[in-house]
Amino acid sequence: MLARVLAAALAAAALVCSANAQDAYVIGVTGALTGPAAGTNGPPIEGLRLYVDRLNASGGINGKKIQLTVLDDQGEPSKAAANAKRLLTQENVSLLVLSSLSSTFAPVIAETRRANVALMLMGAVCPKEVYPPADLLQFCTTAYAGGYDSRATLAFIKETAKEPVRIGFAAMAIPLSRGEIDYAEEQAKAMGMTPVDKEVIPPPTADYTPFATKLKDANPNWIFSWAPWVTQVKTFEALRRLGWEGDYITWAHIEAESELARLKDAKFYVIGANSLFQDNLPIHKQIVAEAKKANIRYPAEQMTEGWIGGLVLEAVLKAGGWPADAAKVRAAMENVKVDTQGLRGGPIEWSKENHFRTRQYYRVYRWDPAKSAVAVTKDWVAYDVK
Amino acid sequence: MQLIANITVLAAIYALLACGYVLIYRVSRVMNMAHGELAMLGAYLLYTTASLFADHPVSAIAAALVLSLTVGVLVYVALMRKMTGQMVLAAILTTIAIGILLRGVIVLIWSASQQHPLQVLKFSNPSIELIGGARISTCAALMVLATVAVYAALFAFLRFGRWGMRLRAAGQNPLLAAQRGINLNAIYALAWALSTLTGSIAGMLIALDSGLDQTMVVIGLKAFAPALVGGLDSLLGALLGAVIVAAAEVLAIHYIDPLLSDVVPFLVLIATLIVRPWGLFGTREELDRV
Repeated sequence: MLARVLAAALAAAALVCSANAQDAYVIGVTGALTGPAAGTNGPPIEGLRLYVDRLNASGGINGKKIQLTVLDDQGEPSKAAANAKRLLTQENVSLLVLSSLSSTFAPVIAETRRANVALMLMGAVCPKEVYPPADLLQFCTTAYAGGYDSRATLAFIKETAKEPVRIGFAAMAIPLSRGEIDYAEEQAKAMGMTPVDKEVIPPPTADYTPFATKLKDANPNWIFSWAPWVTQVKTFEALRRLGWEGDYITWAHIEAESELARLKDAKFYVIGANSLFQDNLPIHKQIVAEAKKANIRYPAEQMTEGWIGGLVLEAVLKAGGWPADAAKVRAAMENVKVDTQGLRGGPIEWSKENHFRTRQYYRVYRWDPAKSAVAVTKDWVAYDVK
Repeated sequence: MQLIANITVLAAIYALLACGYVLIYRVSRVMNMAHGELAMLGAYLLYTTASLFADHPVSAIAAALVLSLTVGVLVYVALMRKMTGQMVLAAILTTIAIGILLRGVIVLIWSASQQHPLQVLKFSNPSIELIGGARISTCAALMVLATVAVYAALFAFLRFGRWGMRLRAAGQNPLLAAQRGINLNAIYALAWALSTLTGSIAGMLIALDSGLDQTMVVIGLKAFAPALVGGLDSLLGALLGAVIVAAAEVLAIHYIDPLLSDVVPFLVLIATLIVRPWGLFGTREELDRV
């Protein structure tokens, strides 16, 4: 009797789940919710969930709710591949979102190709495949992007430096970080700077001092790091502890705002494409209010990437209509223009050729001792994406 | 001189973490694959007690140490005790499961954001200039001192302490020890408590020095190599293994390629295992049950 009741209950639950899934947009997410990269890749997923919950509470899109199925890959390629396979073949998602280390890209892309489903990178670095001429299935909302970031950073250094630049580099030993720093090194030479050292640091490192020692011994007056936040900030702090007093510029990951306030170092610059919450724009106030209401685990200022992902997702699903399938979603993604409401310097525009944005905007912040606050050092500078 | 300072600090980190592996293996022949997670949990406990007793840093640190000891006992009583008498492999798999569970719980409770217990405790971490112009941070110096103190205390405890002797006896011959009236469960619980405590001290000092995030799990795992190099049942071996691995790693970073720092500990491990599969100071044995 008990077995029959249980079987009936299970069958009913399966029917309810199936009905819910059929009656909702099903979006799959794989990301580093735990593991070494979780600090950078976890909050964008939380931000997306925050945005989607808000959308669902206000009736969803085209009268349908969005069902986010989120799986943790711990930043490991094998787990990311397994997640992608499950989401694409068992959950039949119409779009896959990835927020993880670049080392997970290849296996996830392979799975999306097999299933012919679009992949939206959100909170994970934008690969070159999203630039024109873009790969058919890869799209990116993330602020940071190979090539353009280094160009903007080096241009800022050249403009700011008061003496000839001897530049050091720090990367994490993951594919895109290394590739970007190699590119930056070549660009620096072309711009008349003197590269003096380049440290590629493995992801889990007990002590950053040995790497910092080598960098310091090369005597740079500027150091550029483009890597996950842990590597960027720990290398910087180790350098300061060794007595190095030069200028350090690094990518403004989602942790940057609180970290600038913690470090209070006027020579520690962050360059990024997202505005910081100290700007106190209406959109920032809205995110803070929503985050407070939802009682999220991360600080509200780390929600930007996920919120922007949510804005884009809303626009895509609206345009794709109902019922949704992978082909309609992909077609909708090829013609999107989203106002980022001040979270970025400009909109996100996708076309058939360009799955990144038509213009990438950069801003530089640092700690201003005179104001005792985080301040804009260099306002938005735009780069055309070709 | 800076190279020597770097080797010393890294060796201290590895040694403090490695002694936790040794303590449990020596008593129960179990390799605790959740040691990194337990060290990280200790650091998060410090972060919490620091938030609770922000104006009383000594109370915060003391409370975190007591909580770490308690966690060690609880892990044994609630989970590992059930593994007594089972295959060692089952016990090891249980520690892997504990690690996965702890990682999830930590993210659920504290999130994956980087935390800074030093800031919460309102401490600063200025550099100390050593002879020859070398510099280390205050927390790194504390790490070295803590390692010396922990090893001295453990050597004294195991050599002269009543419970220390019981611990050694249980490790050498559990059946005989039990027949002589030694409470094996109490001994195993003590080993887990001490192992978690030493791992937590390492975790706390790493977190005070450079912040607290999920990478600590992997650092905990990296310390497994020095423990194996030295011999899994030898504290002296763990200390020597830590120095050898740290020296190889720092010298590889400085003179060859920074990327080798991830590989070198395991190259040293392989080289050691080829020559002495039981480690430099380990005991040659054949035992496959707890």
